[in-house]
Amino acid sequence: MDLAGLTEDLHALRDEAIAAARAAASTGDLEQLEVDLLGKKGRLTVVLRGIGSLPAEDRPRVGAIANEVQTAMRSALADAASSLRSRELADRLAAEAVDVTTPGRSIRRGTYHPIVETADRITRIFEQFGFVVYEGPEVEDDLTNFRMLNIPQDHPARDLWDTLYVDVENHLLRTHTSPGQIRVMQSTRPPIRALLPGRCFRYEAVDASHASEFFQVEGLMVDEGTTLADLKGLLDQFAQAMYGRGQRTRFRPGYYPFTEPSVAFDVECLVCGGSGCPACSRTGWMTILGAGMVHPVVLQYGGIDPERYQGFAFGMGVERIANLRHAVTDLRLYMENDLRFLEQFR
Amino acid sequence: MRVPLSWLRDYVDVELTPEQLAERLTLLGMEVQKIERWGADWKDVVVGELLAVERHPHADRLFLTRVTVGAGEPLDIVCGATNIAPGQRVPVALPGAVLPGGRRIERTEKMGVTSNGMLCSGDELRLTADADEILILSDTAPLGAELISLYGDIVLDVDVKPNRGDALSLVGLAREVAAATGAQIRWPETDPVEGGDDIEQRLAVTVEAPDLCPRFVARRLSGVRVGASPDLVQMRLLAAGMRPVSNVVDASNYVMLELGKPIHTFDAAAIAAGTDGRATIVVRRARQDEPLETLDHVRRTLDRETLVIADPERALGIAGIMGGADSEVSETTTDVVVESAIFDPVAIRRTGQRYALRSEASLRFEKGHEVRLARIGADRCARLVAEWAGGDVARGRVDSDSVEPAPSTVTFRPDRVNRLLGTSLSVDEQRALLARVGLESEAAEPDDRVTVALEPQPVVVEPAPGTAITALVPTWRRDIVIEADVAEEVARVRGYDVVPSVLPHTPMPGWRPSPLEVRDAVREMLIGAGLSEVITFALVSPRLHDAFGLRAPVPSVGGEPPPGGDRIEVTNPLSRDHSILRQGLLGSLADVVGTNRRQGRADVAIFEVGKGYGREGDRTREWWRLGVALTGAAEPAAWNRAGRPWDVDDAKGLLELLCRRLGFGEPAYAAERDEPVLHPGRSLRASATGDGGAPTLEAVVGELHPDVVGAWELRAERVVVAEVAVAGLGGGQLTAVRASPPSRHPAVERDLAVVVADDQPAASVVDVIRASGGDLLHSATLFDIYRGAPLADDEKSLAHRLVFAADRTLTEAEIDAAIEGITAAVATELGGRLRA
Repeated sequence: MDLAGLTEDLHALRDEAIAAARAAASTGDLEQLEVDLLGKKGRLTVVLRGIGSLPAEDRPRVGAIANEVQTAMRSALADAASSLRSRELADRLAAEAVDVTTPGRSIRRGTYHPIVETADRITRIFEQFGFVVYEGPEVEDDLTNFRMLNIPQDHPARDLWDTLYVDVENHLLRTHTSPGQIRVMQSTRPPIRALLPGRCFRYEAVDASHASEFFQVEGLMVDEGTTLADLKGLLDQFAQAMYGRGQRTRFRPGYYPFTEPSVAFDVECLVCGGSGCPACSRTGWMTILGAGMVHPVVLQYGGIDPERYQGFAFGMGVERIANLRHAVTDLRLYMENDLRFLEQFR
Repeated sequence: MRVPLSWLRDYVDVELTPEQLAERLTLLGMEVQKIERWGADWKDVVVGELLAVERHPHADRLFLTRVTVGAGEPLDIVCGATNIAPGQRVPVALPGAVLPGGRRIERTEKMGVTSNGMLCSGDELRLTADADEILILSDTAPLGAELISLYGDIVLDVDVKPNRGDALSLVGLAREVAAATGAQIRWPETDPVEGGDDIEQRLAVTVEAPDLCPRFVARRLSGVRVGASPDLVQMRLLAAGMRPVSNVVDASNYVMLELGKPIHTFDAAAIAAGTDGRATIVVRRARQDEPLETLDHVRRTLDRETLVIADPERALGIAGIMGGADSEVSETTTDVVVESAIFDPVAIRRTGQRYALRSEASLRFEKGHEVRLARIGADRCARLVAEWAGGDVARGRVDSDSVEPAPSTVTFRPDRVNRLLGTSLSVDEQRALLARVGLESEAAEPDDRVTVALEPQPVVVEPAPGTAITALVPTWRRDIVIEADVAEEVARVRGYDVVPSVLPHTPMPGWRPSPLEVRDAVREMLIGAGLSEVITFALVSPRLHDAFGLRAPVPSVGGEPPPGGDRIEVTNPLSRDHSILRQGLLGSLADVVGTNRRQGRADVAIFEVGKGYGREGDRTREWWRLGVALTGAAEPAAWNRAGRPWDVDDAKGLLELLCRRLGFGEPAYAAERDEPVLHPGRSLRASATGDGGAPTLEAVVGELHPDVVGAWELRAERVVVAEVAVAGLGGGQLTAVRASPPSRHPAVERDLAVVVADDQPAASVVDVIRASGGDLLHSATLFDIYRGAPLADDEKSLAHRLVFAADRTLTEAEIDAAIEGITAAVATELGGRLRA
């Protein structure tokens, strides 16, 4: 083979290779083509074997041409591979398309019970003001539930608490969280800021507004200079935290044997905003809790000197707070546990 | 207490609208719960005058009347009453009128005659109790006027608190109105016009039980004509919620409502004479099983705790609770004895409870009232009986103890009042406020002492000189005793808006762990895992308690009281369904599952954190548990995936998640076959421990037994439940994580399939692998169970993924050695082998 012939073969191979690269249908074909052309036993190698039959002076030229051809072929292969990859990727993406408007795969999350959630919320609000949480027993002794709270046996005030009694001597199901006041005072010294959430029981026929089992949160603050004004300030903060900034409130006289003075704490009607409606008995106000200055009898039973110390206590029904917050009008819903009701409380 | 405003105005001027008055009373602590328009249920009832009354042509018992209502043609109205005559003014219900109870009056035909409306009785209008006769109105009632403009009233329903028995009366509430408005009180005339005999000649009273009856006052009337009370009295009693009975009985009720003093009246003829020939009342304890027929015509057998009003022969009535039928004032009564007594409040309360008899009277006796009312009440009642029923009031009274206690005093420090209230009211202002409710005051005498508390020990302090005030407490205000009572009175009269709103600036208490910390973490985790929180009754039925009780209760952990002991029963349950304090949560949760399934709800995944309750003799205990119930789909089927039902592995997964969250070790499982409430082949006990090896979680987990699912109509194929004791649930803290940096050296994974007997628990295999894997074995996790060829029928292969790791690069030889150790242990301890 002479120089011209070999050069021609190389150029022919180059042209064929470029055409083949352009025609390749897949990256796989292209890889095969590369092996066929440029591999150890590839056609370029085969062509270059003819270099041995050339005169020595021609060989460098052929070498140079062969390099050019090889470069051109590699470039063509690379170009073809690049465009093939782009096309294949486009094909894949097109093939992978889904209907993105189908609904998402549902991820289940449960819901907090509205009563526990409300009690939690109440607790968090008062924790901001330095109140710490205590808990007392639900099967309470008569003494702590009544006598130590200044409610003597056979006192007409007992009519305020219809009581469920149990077959354990001198025990009953606590009718309120207030006995917790005694337990806190007996277990710690002032300054006291205590919060007592928990379940309570009453002998009460169940209807939309009465429950035999319900939840209360009791608060107690005792120190040398704790005043009714402190109570009002704190409850004002609470009303805003629970029902929104600017919530108007009112103190009026109430009656509890274990506080003196006693207070009923009203918020401006959350339904009508104070103009008067059936929800607030047309008074414009709704009572949300009872409170007052701890009665000296109670302080003494708690082991606290009523001359040196004074304090306030408040107690609220969690259901009442939740009703007003969530526009619930039937207490029975809370204990029925119909998930269609509960799952609304996201 | 129902307060007709027209009646209240007898004692105090009211120049406020009913709404304003209600608000003032409410802000004074006398909460007005309802404002009722008395007569608002009359429509088109007007004043008419009878022009003619003739016999009905076709009916003997009916009359044909002609009535003018002022304007328009006179109306022909048929009427059945016999008390009518021309010239009388009467209430006329015009055609289209509406009467109480929604009764509509239309033009009708009665025995061939058209009746253009109806003449009304007092009862039809609910004005008086008289249903037989037409209500005859005053001659001055303007013709054609709507009846409501004449007889309508406003009735306030006032919630009088138990400490203010004195305000359970119109006079008492008039005092409150006066305190609020500054008006003056008008006390009713109480002295009767006396005549005839001296009472001492006709009546004797012996109080044999002065401890239960500190004072007994009697008045006597003779020649009384028992009949209906004046219409106005009947109207007032009805508006106040009491049914008129007769002029004598109404007088006693009127005085009770007016003054707050319950009164009883006897037919004097029914009181037997004593040895001196005088009718004699004996106040004594009843004899055991003494018989008495009470006014409600119930024959009762009395006990020795009961105070009776008796004559020398027999009991006449239960003191303060209910009179006897035999001595009741009736139409034939001519002589009346009025009883106005003070009884021991506690004894009255207990007696009322024993006989299940509560009345307006006993309610007032229970709260107690001032001693002088015994005298005043007797006088006033005698006066009213004489006024309404005629007769002579005998001279004088019989009075068992005519000494009337002087008003008490209360000494207070205006500074302390301000310190309690957070106010800065001057001494003069405080005194002026107290004066408005009748507490006159002056500077304390040197030996006056301040009573801070009376019980359990009296705390009486000597005020600094010149700092205290002593007030005279009106006899009716038995609730003002200690200094704090004065503070309330000052604030109440001034208005609670005097109390400023400030934030506490007193020292904060020290930190204390919240008992809610672990409970909240558990709740949050379960909600994140898709379970909804429920709250169920702590009181359950005996049936539920028995059916879901565990043979072996889940043991307590973390220092909580042990579960079980005897169950606690409510002695006065509302119903059997809520009569036992539960000892576990499974039954309550199953009940919720049933409720929701019956509502057509397919998937239920719920939990509750609640208490169990038990007793050991008289010692009670309470323990916290987590309860879980799962039924339906754990993963609901959707267009892009198949559904999957909840199973026991899900419950175990929740426990494992819980243990990771709370920093407990992985729970260990053991089969539970002996709990009747659970599926014997799909139930287990789980337990986990904390760092120190102490138990931190104990649980029973399983499917409910199919019999239980059926018996409780849960309408579910399978219900997975768990009851879990968790350390810290009743109060505890989350433990802090001790973190370590991740290893920079790669971990090595090896899969190891172990062939063991088919009944070999998987947990025991992984235990052996872990125990024999050496220090390098980081974890071993079961990922496949295979049964079938080429294994023998009684074999299974458990494939585990083992991860080896150390703080250096591991060599193949080290890992091979560890695997060899595991292989040997599997062979010796389980009789197993590696699967080729």
